[in-house]
Amino acid sequence: MSDQTSLNRAQALLLYLVLTAGIASGIAIFSSASTITDLLKTATNGLFLPILLSLIVTFLLDPVVQFLEGERISRTNSIFIIYFLIVSLLIFLFTLIGPPNWKGMMIALKADFPRYIASAIAYLNDLLTRAQVHFPFIERYDLPGTISHSAQQFFGIILKETPKSAMRIGSLFLLVPLFSFFFLRDSKRIMRSLISLTPNRYFEMVLDIYDHVSWQLAHFIRGRILEALIIGIVVYVGLSVTDIRYAPILGVVAGVTNLLPYIGPIIGMIPGIVIALVDLGIGGQFWWIVCVYLLIAQIILDNFILIPILISRVSNLHPLWVILAIVMGGKLYGVIGMIIGVPIASIIKIALLEIRQYRRTFYRSPRVFLERSD
Amino acid sequence: MNPFWSNIFRTSGYEDSLTYFLSTVPIFEALKKRELRFLESMTHVRSYEAHETVFHEGDIGSGMYCIRSGQVQIYVHDDTGKEIEQARLGPGDFFGEVALTAQKPRIATARTLEPTVLVGLFRADILEAVNKYPSTAAKILLGVTRCISDRLQYASLKLQQQGDNSYPGPEQGANDV
Repeated sequence: MSDQTSLNRAQALLLYLVLTAGIASGIAIFSSASTITDLLKTATNGLFLPILLSLIVTFLLDPVVQFLEGERISRTNSIFIIYFLIVSLLIFLFTLIGPPNWKGMMIALKADFPRYIASAIAYLNDLLTRAQVHFPFIERYDLPGTISHSAQQFFGIILKETPKSAMRIGSLFLLVPLFSFFFLRDSKRIMRSLISLTPNRYFEMVLDIYDHVSWQLAHFIRGRILEALIIGIVVYVGLSVTDIRYAPILGVVAGVTNLLPYIGPIIGMIPGIVIALVDLGIGGQFWWIVCVYLLIAQIILDNFILIPILISRVSNLHPLWVILAIVMGGKLYGVIGMIIGVPIASIIKIALLEIRQYRRTFYRSPRVFLERSD
Repeated sequence: MNPFWSNIFRTSGYEDSLTYFLSTVPIFEALKKRELRFLESMTHVRSYEAHETVFHEGDIGSGMYCIRSGQVQIYVHDDTGKEIEQARLGPGDFFGEVALTAQKPRIATARTLEPTVLVGLFRADILEAVNKYPSTAAKILLGVTRCISDRLQYASLKLQQQGDNSYPGPEQGANDV
């Protein structure tokens, strides 16, 4: 009996030790996990933008690489050839036209920005005083004050971020070509080794779904980027016909904001319209600029030519999702997040749709099979 | 040859390589060594435990498998749910090649009988190869087509024989001519 109890005591001691060790290691893992995530966050902090940009470059260049590969050039060599061609093209363009004077334009814009805001507010005030005759209650809302305040805030952020981003752009020129080189060369291998981890039973299905989803995604991303590029170029060309200043910057803004559906084109239009209004006044040129933005870029080019050709209807998001994606993206990654939030939401939608489609055929198949064998 | 020199010039373990194995599969016999190496980069090597299902009757198929080692049993279920074995395949055999070209449900179940290594070739990779290396892909697809048409011919001959046995009639003579 006493033997039994001593054994029990030993067991209890063992149990106690194991439990204590378990709890202690649990706490240790938990506390170190939070530091580890902190460390990871700090380590990957600046990497988001370069990786995103190199993924975009990868998606754009992949068809070209594949074309060269079809000509019996090895993948690595074809990437080098493309890099060489791009660099020489850039050098050729720069020597021919000279680079657009971005720095000078930024400095001039810094000086001009308050002037534009001031004139826009003056114009608004004028409009308001006229409106007050009919709607006296408007006086209670300090609309011009709010606008000038938020505009100044926005401008302050831009001023503060510019030197930082100038540093970052330098590192981008180094990192993006490097990352996209490896993405282009090894993405197949990386994905293959990831897919090979799936269990045997689901391997075939996963491979098939991956193939469908990746095709759709490549198509979608390439389409969006090309769309933004073409819109930007068209706006730039359309604006540079007139006397308006900052046409290159306005073209870039129009292209980038065009990534957002519904709201993007309007946001992209505002700076151009404001500058045109202040510098040129309402006249022939002003209406031409409005025409370029609205009629040529948006309605004719985007709606009738680019979207039907480049982007399938599958990726259309409900306006509510668009707004949610913009807000959530903005919370996570600021301005960049707002711009890429919607494309990422579309990507998720495409992936989900493909998987659902596949599952539907997958689960219906036994019935189909029975019908076929009857 | 002097064992010393044969040791130096021996291509190390070519007979054990996946490339060599693929060259022994009848579908790929028209491929050259370089194309075989490309084919090797397209295939997926999967290992299975004994009595593991590779695919099930009614699954959507997307590719074919070659048996590198081990044994695979192909069977169907009859109306009462009983398993009817159709074939027992060993190293060097292949199965599921119909699914490579058409997205159709599998018409039989494949299950391993012992620990087995399968080399899978799937439609996704073939489609990519068609864009990238059309001539190699054409050779592979020709091999698949030849194999499928062989089986089709064999099956229709067998059907014809059965038809002849069960309905002996005046058509028999016409068929023989």
